[in-house]
Amino acid sequence: MKKITKKSLNSSFWTWYHGNLLCFSHQHMQTLPFMLAMLKPLQDLYQDETELHHAMETYTGFFNTEPQIGTIIVGVCCGLEESRANGADNIDEEMINSIRVGLMGPLAGIGDSLIPGTYIPILLAIALGLSTGGSMLGPIFYALVYNVTMYLFMRGIFNTGYELGGRAVDVLVGEKADIIKESIITIGMVVVGAVAGSWVNVTTALTLYNDAGEPFLVLQNVFNNILPGLLSLLTVLLGWWLMTKRKMQPTTVMLIYLAIAFVGVLLGFFDPGLSY
Amino acid sequence: MELSIIQCVILALFSMSTSVIGALGTSYAWYTLSRPLVASMIVGLVMGDVTTAIIVGSAIQVVYIALVTPGGTVSADLDAVCWIGIPLAIAAVKGSGLAAAEGAGLAVSIAAAVGTVGTVFFYGTAVFNLVWQEIAWKRFDKSDYSGMWKTTFFLPLISHFLIRFIPTFLILRYGLPYVANIKDVLPLDSLPMKTLFTVGTLLPAVGIAILLKMVIKEPLDLVIFGFGFIIAKNLGVNLVAATIIGGFVAYLKYQTGMQILAVKGSGSVTEEEDDF
Repeated sequence: MKKITKKSLNSSFWTWYHGNLLCFSHQHMQTLPFMLAMLKPLQDLYQDETELHHAMETYTGFFNTEPQIGTIIVGVCCGLEESRANGADNIDEEMINSIRVGLMGPLAGIGDSLIPGTYIPILLAIALGLSTGGSMLGPIFYALVYNVTMYLFMRGIFNTGYELGGRAVDVLVGEKADIIKESIITIGMVVVGAVAGSWVNVTTALTLYNDAGEPFLVLQNVFNNILPGLLSLLTVLLGWWLMTKRKMQPTTVMLIYLAIAFVGVLLGFFDPGLSY
Repeated sequence: MELSIIQCVILALFSMSTSVIGALGTSYAWYTLSRPLVASMIVGLVMGDVTTAIIVGSAIQVVYIALVTPGGTVSADLDAVCWIGIPLAIAAVKGSGLAAAEGAGLAVSIAAAVGTVGTVFFYGTAVFNLVWQEIAWKRFDKSDYSGMWKTTFFLPLISHFLIRFIPTFLILRYGLPYVANIKDVLPLDSLPMKTLFTVGTLLPAVGIAILLKMVIKEPLDLVIFGFGFIIAKNLGVNLVAATIIGGFVAYLKYQTGMQILAVKGSGSVTEEEDDF
C-alpha cells in the first residue's frame, strides 16, 4: 500500500504555509504554490517520472482562494491522491480537480469573511485597546496570538483535510457550516460596532453667536442630546451606504470624504482647532 | 528630521518582504508585519520613538482594520502604508510640533494618500511576476521540479527589490525631510491643513464601512452593529468585553439556527472545526 510519508506531508504544509502567495500574478494567482505543495506527496506516490508528471498536471489549472483556510484543500488533495494511488476506483484526476475547484470558491468566501473579516479585526481591536498611549503591548499581543492560533488552525485543518479526503466537502459546505459561519460573523458585527464607538470620533465645531457675541447654538451639544456619537455613526453608515447601495470603490468614498471635509472646513462645520 | 541610510535600508527591506505577495509568506508577514499597528512598533524602534509611532500607527490601523484582497484587487496598498506612510506620518507629526494624539488626523491623511498611490506597487509586482511564472512553467514542462521551486520562491525577490525596495528607500531617504518641514509650507490653521486633519478623522469611518460591507448581508443586521457602537460609545464597554458580549449574541444566533435546522429535519449533522 502506497503512503505519503509524514515528512512529505510536513513539507507540503510548509510549502503552502510559507509560499501560498509567492510569485503572484493575476493570471495564475496561487496555482504555482499549490503545485509545489503537492510535489513531495506525489513524489512519494509515483516513482516513475512520467507518472509523476502526469499526476502533477492535475494541478496546473487555475487556483485561488483565501490561502489560510485554503490549507484544508491542500490536505484534502493529499488524502485523495493517496487513495487514488492505491487504486480507489471512483477517484480520478477529474474528480480531484472538481473537488479542488469546487472548494476554492466557497472557501474564499468563508475565509475572507471569517479571517480578515472577523478574526483579524477582533484581535486588532483588542490590540488597539492594549496600545492606548503608545504601549508596545498591543502589537506584541496581536503578533503572538495571531501567529500561534493561525499556525495551529492551518496545521489542524491540513491534517483534517488529509484524513477526510473527499468527505471534507460535506463538512465545509452545507447548512450547518453556514450557521456556524453566520454566528461567528455576528461576533464580528458587535466588535466592529465597538471599534467604531471607540475609534471614530467625528465632531462639529459649528457654533452660532448672537449679537452680544454669546453662543446661542453649539451644534455638537444638540447632537449629543440626541445620541452621543451620532455624527460618527452617521459617517460610518454613509460610507457603508455608498459602498453597498451605490457600489462605490473605497477609494472613491475616501475622495468623497475629502470633498466633505473641504466643504465642511470652508463652512466652519469642521475645525480641528489647532494652531502653532 | 531625516533618516540615515541604514534606517532607510531596514525599512525598505521590511517593505520588500511583507507585502501580500512578498517574500515572507502570508500569515507571519502580510497579516502580521504589514498591519499598521505592528509595523508602527518596528518603525518606532528603527526611528527611535516607539510611543509616537504606535499612537500614530493605531490611528492608521483603524482605517485598514479590514482590508481584504478579494480576487487580487486592492484598494489600498498596506505595505506602502506601513513602511512609507507611517514614517512620513511620524515625520509630519513631529515636524509640526504637535503631540502624537493631536496629530493623528494628519497622520491618517498622509498614510491614506500613500496607500492609495501605493497600489501601483502591488499591481506592478504582480505584472512583473509574469516573467518568473513563464520561467517556472518552462521548468515544469521539463520536469525540473527543483528549478520550478527555486524560480517560484526566489526570483520574485527581484520584482520586490525593484518595485518595493528602491522606491521605499528613495522616498524615505529623500522625500521624508520635505514632509517633516510641512509646517513651513502649510500652517496648521490654513485651509488645506484643516482639511487634512478633518479627513483624517473621517477616514476611520471608511475602514469600518469596508468591514461592515463584508459582514453585513441585510440592512437589518446594522442593528447589531449599532448595538456594538452604543455599548462602546455610551456605556464605555471596552473591546475585550465587547468581544465577549459579541460571543454571547453569536451563541444565541447559533442556538436559534440549529433549532431551525432541526425543525426542518434536513442537513446531515457533522462535526465542525471550531478554532476561532
